[in-house]
Amino acid sequence: MAYRQWEIMERAATGPFMEEKEFLNKRITAKMREVIKKYGVKYDPAHPVPADDAMADAVWQAAWEFFRDVGVYNQDTHRIMEFSEEEMREALYCAPSSYTVGVGKDSRVFGHRTVEDPRPPFVIFSPDITYDEADFFQACVAYLKEPLLDAICSPLLEDFQGRAIQSKTPFEIGGSMQHAMHLRSAARLMGVPGVCMIAVGTAETDVAQVAVSQPDWGIRPSDGRLVSSITEMMTNNAMLNKGAHYQMYGSFSGNLTGTIYGAYAGGAEGTAIMQAAYHLMGLLTYGCQFQQNFPFHLKYGSNTGREMLWVVSMYSQAVSRNTHLVQDSNGFANAGPGTDMLFYEAAAHAMTSTVSGANLWEHAPARNKHANHGTPLEARFAAEVGHAVARQGMKRGQADEIVNALLAKYEENIADAPIGQTFQELYDVAKAVPTPEYFDLYKKVKEEVHEMGVEFIY
Amino acid sequence: METIDRLKEAMVEGDEAGCAELAAELVAGGADLKASIAVLAAEMEEVGRRFETMDIFLPEVLLAADGMAAVMKVFAPELAKDATVEKKGVVVVGTARGDMHQIGKDLVALFLGIAGFEVVDLGTDVDALDFIHEAERANADVIGISSLMTTTMPGATEVLKLLRDKGVRDRFKVVVGGAPTSQEWADKIGADAWAEESSGAIDVIKELISGRA
Repeated sequence: MAYRQWEIMERAATGPFMEEKEFLNKRITAKMREVIKKYGVKYDPAHPVPADDAMADAVWQAAWEFFRDVGVYNQDTHRIMEFSEEEMREALYCAPSSYTVGVGKDSRVFGHRTVEDPRPPFVIFSPDITYDEADFFQACVAYLKEPLLDAICSPLLEDFQGRAIQSKTPFEIGGSMQHAMHLRSAARLMGVPGVCMIAVGTAETDVAQVAVSQPDWGIRPSDGRLVSSITEMMTNNAMLNKGAHYQMYGSFSGNLTGTIYGAYAGGAEGTAIMQAAYHLMGLLTYGCQFQQNFPFHLKYGSNTGREMLWVVSMYSQAVSRNTHLVQDSNGFANAGPGTDMLFYEAAAHAMTSTVSGANLWEHAPARNKHANHGTPLEARFAAEVGHAVARQGMKRGQADEIVNALLAKYEENIADAPIGQTFQELYDVAKAVPTPEYFDLYKKVKEEVHEMGVEFIY
Repeated sequence: METIDRLKEAMVEGDEAGCAELAAELVAGGADLKASIAVLAAEMEEVGRRFETMDIFLPEVLLAADGMAAVMKVFAPELAKDATVEKKGVVVVGTARGDMHQIGKDLVALFLGIAGFEVVDLGTDVDALDFIHEAERANADVIGISSLMTTTMPGATEVLKLLRDKGVRDRFKVVVGGAPTSQEWADKIGADAWAEESSGAIDVIKELISGRA
């Protein structure tokens, strides 16, 4: 379903004109200040997982008004795509609450979750970073081996045919095709040929995304695709191209957005409201089927600190309680693999997200910026925490207590978080399995988190 | 309360009309404008420090910057008559070809402007040759290139290659930065400096320009 696609695309050329700086510095910031005050949205540092339904609803009401009055800015045309209250209600009413993604035995239902939903989250496994060229395939294999994986977003490729992949060049197209082919081959060899791939991340441009839309060797309509926004509430023609292509090709489209805490949205309150508003942006601007959320801290590039967990919980609850939209929550940790801190962060993020009504996208370690610093084991741990807290029917109050206990173990170390070790150091790359030492660390932390109250299923 | 103190308050609150009125009052009263600017610059440094520690956020910084801009608009004609006013330098900034991530670049541009530099912001997804043409046109001291994706880092490399091919490499200092970049990469492509984060970029650019002088 693409909500009134062409009528909306036309607005990119016909909407009201505004200078970009004025849109960001005046329209966005002024409206955000107004709705925070009007709806009384207030960050509560004592409760990273708040059990405050009224506040969650206030965040949604603020997000609704914010989006209705701000719209989406197109950087190429310098015009604002605006949406009426009626259109917003119609699009929301008509949006399905779940989708079957992937093919055959590997297909899964990716759907809306309620706050404190006993149904487990849909889990997308992804390291969100680049790996050395030689290990790309085995890294994909290692992720695809994970039993709780519902969909995969693989590592990115950096080189193609001996040359660094450069956006907007033929090497980007070639590298993106190779990315898709490798991932497809790895999925077949791991016995999950129909698994949903959220791909391909190597394709930054619209042209490269179109190039990989090929059901035989590339991305199928049963797979997921991502289209992003520009910070904040902005798009451009290339992104609109992607959005339109995904709808017409038939893939499941996700709106990839990360509100920046401390930037145009302001603090925790504005970040939560903006992230909730992005669900409306994705639905109305691109006709998205799901929302991929990764709000992050301006200074640290992570979302596992106290204020960020509150943000994650608040917008997830706001969207879950007030819509039937499909959302996932992407963890960005400070610490890198091979550290107990990363496991604590992964647990805190997964638990917060799951009880707040989100699905999971796990997990970007080491602030998402160090090549090879990501392994499937931290993603597995996050997935296991998510499944456990859902199945045991954990309430927000208990999750809040456990998350506070987890934060006590790492929040003082956020500024100087260790970057940890690489995939190659922590895994037997040829077999694509963790080393015994690394597995022991995972088991040790799992036992600690169990003692805190998480009833792991196995 | 002294006019300069009221002006500081108005600036921090982003009261542009109030800033213009108070700035005009200072001009009319024959105040030492360079001294007034020093007072306001110190206040802006404090705003920057509070932003760095996340005690305040970007919207508050933007308000103060708007206030400062309103003051400078009033002061500018007077300052132009004063040959002793020192120019800090011209910096051209943008994100590399294909890169749409603009917050880091925005912060660098904002804080360079607050610090008194002339900033030419080329925006996002900037062609390598456009960096050079704009730097030549503005007689820039520094070109700053931000890359947030591994696939857009070659766009920064391209700027340096073209500077060499055009024979103008020595005319500009080049700073590169962004999350996936490193000092090692900056050295490899022949940049003059590397900055991992926006706050670091300001200091790096200040050092480059003072070293050049």
